[in-house]
Amino acid sequence: MENSLLQRIAAGDSTATTACIEKYGGLVWSLARRLSPTTTDAEDAVQEIFVDIWRNAERYRAELSEEATFVAMLARRRLIDRLRKHRRELDSQPIDEQALQYPSPPQTPQTEIAEEASRATACMEGLRSDERNVLELSIYHGLPQTRISERTGIPLGTVKTHARRGLVKLRDCMQLRALRPRKGAEAR
Amino acid sequence: MSNNSNEESDRWEELQVTRLLFGLSPEEQSEFDELARQPARMTDASLEKAVASLDMAWTDHPSEHLPEHLKQAILARAEQELASKRAGSVERPSRSEDPQSNASRREASQYWPWLVSAACLAFALFSWWSSTVRDVPQPDLAQRRAQLLAADNDHLHVDWSSGPTPVEGASGDVVWSNRQQQGYMRFRGLPINKPTEEQYQLWIFDKNQSEATPIDGGVFNISSTGETIVPIDAKLKVEQPYLFAVTIEKPGGVVVSSRERLPLLAEVK
Repeated sequence: MENSLLQRIAAGDSTATTACIEKYGGLVWSLARRLSPTTTDAEDAVQEIFVDIWRNAERYRAELSEEATFVAMLARRRLIDRLRKHRRELDSQPIDEQALQYPSPPQTPQTEIAEEASRATACMEGLRSDERNVLELSIYHGLPQTRISERTGIPLGTVKTHARRGLVKLRDCMQLRALRPRKGAEAR
Repeated sequence: MSNNSNEESDRWEELQVTRLLFGLSPEEQSEFDELARQPARMTDASLEKAVASLDMAWTDHPSEHLPEHLKQAILARAEQELASKRAGSVERPSRSEDPQSNASRREASQYWPWLVSAACLAFALFSWWSSTVRDVPQPDLAQRRAQLLAADNDHLHVDWSSGPTPVEGASGDVVWSNRQQQGYMRFRGLPINKPTEEQYQLWIFDKNQSEATPIDGGVFNISSTGETIVPIDAKLKVEQPYLFAVTIEKPGGVVVSSRERLPLLAEVK
């Protein structure tokens, strides 16, 4: 079986790093732009994320997740760290306002997205609307809990509950769907 | 299960979700670390996977592309990172979790003084040998190549393609900085040569030079079919290079190549 890009990077194959940048550059850049206060900050974040990818490539296990999911996990960890740091250093209001300028996430999965992503969007539809809303504002727009509470009028404690319940339900649904036999595209 | 442990489990899940979606405050991080130290307490990777899957689904990455300057900067950092990784792997053999390997490490430790002396001697011999033969101490060259890429945004970067006498499976690239008059060739799959029988030679075709007399870019050896980086040793100033060519020549190289054996070309477009 052919080695994945990350396995090749872990083995020191520098051609794989170029291929990795080509393949996942768009994903990482898109995430970084959405979850960073400025373009310059997004550029710095992307560089840090790729360094994280090179350093953690050997930890990738193909049997546990798709490669793109692993890359997105590393990207999010770095972006959340940076966002948290920015919020500590600056007044978070401008960052959050900018985050909200992005339109809502697509409600129908793109035709070419990976299987795990397709499963996730299908499972989102099974959540209660307030759980879905909280997850969307946090994951897609990168808003902190207090801002979600202000924006939606939901008490802070309830925001936390919706976030937790929503994510746990999403995970359970994804695990269940992963066990089902595949019939072409993800059933919805 | 007691109420207390249920509460702890709930709190642990809550902290994991908060960490993934919002990041933890310093107080929450301390609490997280403390709970994480408890036996059998593990972070739930499936929660993180669910969030990452949504990230992918909600990201329109096929239509988003990295800016070119950012891509080049990341490539340069990748070179540095891989170079230090390679250097690290030379210094530190990979560790195994196998307890047997711990025992063998303890046994080996009694020989360390001898091993260190032998390594020093080997290093001294290698330093002497590498100063006489232009083969490649890899980590250093990879770092220097990366530094060149990062230092000069106007550098040339072209891939090798097959020449008139191709070698199957050979690939790589050339980077060259006119400003710094430095460059590096990178090869994978180029056959190992016997320096006493033949050597590789680089030729740089420059618009300011006759096509018949390209600039000699140096003679070099390939000692591994894995990735090899070779510095360019241009004998004249390179101003407007349009083609790099690798020929196979007699030991020591030639002044004018017959170009009978020309496995690789890199054309600047």
